[in-house]
Amino acid sequence: MIPALEVTNLAKRFGGLPATRDVSLRVMPGERRLIIGPNGAGKTTLFNLITGELTADAGSVRLFGAELLRLSPPARAHLGLARTYQILTLFPRETLLHNVVLALLGLRRDRWDAWGTLARRSELREAARLALDRVGLGGSAARLVAETSYGERRRLELAMALSQHPRVLMLDEPLAGLSQEERHAIRDLLDTIPRDVTIVMIEHDMDVALEFAERITLLHYGEVIVEGTRAEVTSDPRTREVYLGH
Amino acid sequence: MSGPLRGLLALALLAGLPWLLPGDFYVNLASQVLIYALFAIGLNLLVGYGGLTSLGHAAYFGVSAYACAWLTTQAGLGPAAAAAGALALGTATAGVFGVLALRASGLGFLMITLALGQIVWGMAYRWVALTGGDNGIRLADRPVVLGLDATTPIGFYYLAAGVFAIAFYTIRRTALSPFGACLRGSRDQPRRMAALGHNVWLLRWLAFVMSGFWGSAAGLLYLYYHKFVSPQVLALQQSAEGLLMVILGGASTLTGPVVGAVVITLVKNLASSYVDRWYALLGVIFIVAVVFMPRGMVPGVAGLWARRRAPQS
Repeated sequence: MIPALEVTNLAKRFGGLPATRDVSLRVMPGERRLIIGPNGAGKTTLFNLITGELTADAGSVRLFGAELLRLSPPARAHLGLARTYQILTLFPRETLLHNVVLALLGLRRDRWDAWGTLARRSELREAARLALDRVGLGGSAARLVAETSYGERRRLELAMALSQHPRVLMLDEPLAGLSQEERHAIRDLLDTIPRDVTIVMIEHDMDVALEFAERITLLHYGEVIVEGTRAEVTSDPRTREVYLGH
Repeated sequence: MSGPLRGLLALALLAGLPWLLPGDFYVNLASQVLIYALFAIGLNLLVGYGGLTSLGHAAYFGVSAYACAWLTTQAGLGPAAAAAGALALGTATAGVFGVLALRASGLGFLMITLALGQIVWGMAYRWVALTGGDNGIRLADRPVVLGLDATTPIGFYYLAAGVFAIAFYTIRRTALSPFGACLRGSRDQPRRMAALGHNVWLLRWLAFVMSGFWGSAAGLLYLYYHKFVSPQVLALQQSAEGLLMVILGGASTLTGPVVGAVVITLVKNLASSYVDRWYALLGVIFIVAVVFMPRGMVPGVAGLWARRRAPQS
């Protein structure tokens, strides 16, 4: 079976500092993969290399067999890669609905239409509303992002990515900064994502993330230290040493 | 008031204005306002909606004015062919300059557009064989466009008003279109837009070219109005005044640049006959606007209006 995401010998240096060293990982279709590691381990850098926001020095990134390394971020999005950001990256002066509409437009040809009226595209608004409903924000569609709570913004990040029906979804700390209650709500939401979406997630909250993931990759100083099933990784002494701290 | 009704009212005002004005002097002044308003709404596509501050926008204005003058007087083309050639050359210049300037954004973009604008100005000034240098190029007379005799002040006013109305309508459609939404998105959150599948570079370049096209159209009207073009139209001051109109009136609003063009052109032409230091007056207006209405006059006044009405409702 062709892996949904296959990273081979990926490397990136910032000046003299290696941020990603020879990272290889294979995520199979439908898998839920968790990436853990202490601060500065290179988790977000790895995400940025996969989505193309950073250019790798060496290696290969394949999405269902297609090489991504020479492609721009928008070209990668068109192949079915979507992501959320750890640091919220939304359109604060726009409504929640408009944020999702921009996500939908990203993969549509009519985004180049400079004459038709966007507000009259009822099918776009409908699709955007469905995506908001899916994350429980259906009633807030007309509110401005600037007026919403942090938890609602986290949900909006998710709605924008999901609205694109990605084949591989990359979640960068989707639970960061949320209350215990909100975390479980997001967790339940993640469970509703069908298996035709492969999910790669960076997360620090072990309680929620460990149950969610089938396989776990531990990064440390830009390298893959341990990889395996939940039980294998949590019982590995190196995990305890670098991450759990005892 | 609904959108179409407001549009009709604005059109009626535009059409009736010459009959409300006391004489040719004021009709000519209104024509000048329209030329600069056209220049400013075009520039606003780039500055307001694209978030890209250009200080070289006089280049397309000037290239088009020079091209039309040269094609008419030296190449002997008819008015329609000369105008089409000038628009094409001005827009093509924007296309090439856009490729160069969009290697950067923010301050880098500003500096590249400034440098490119200065190169074109230098060429107009020094390449005497082509441009006549300081003497400029003189046009024999204004053309007759679609049966409209632009040689009279009223005739020219209607030509300028017609072009402006078409430009305003087109830019309004662009602003409300999917493309306009994506352009604003690329201004606010370029990284996110790219990750969502948007080609941010191409969005910006297209905005640059559209903006250059309307700048070229304004340059053409400028040439017809003055029947003369000299390196002054390409000067940095021309670009800076355009930018000032956009910011003063309110960037990324449709009517803001128009208000800015009205204020600045009127101050320039009317106050200069009473006050020697009219630039100082413009400076004061600008400072007051920036302090009290940092987002520009149109959003500022709209905000005041909303606040005054709020307690009553």
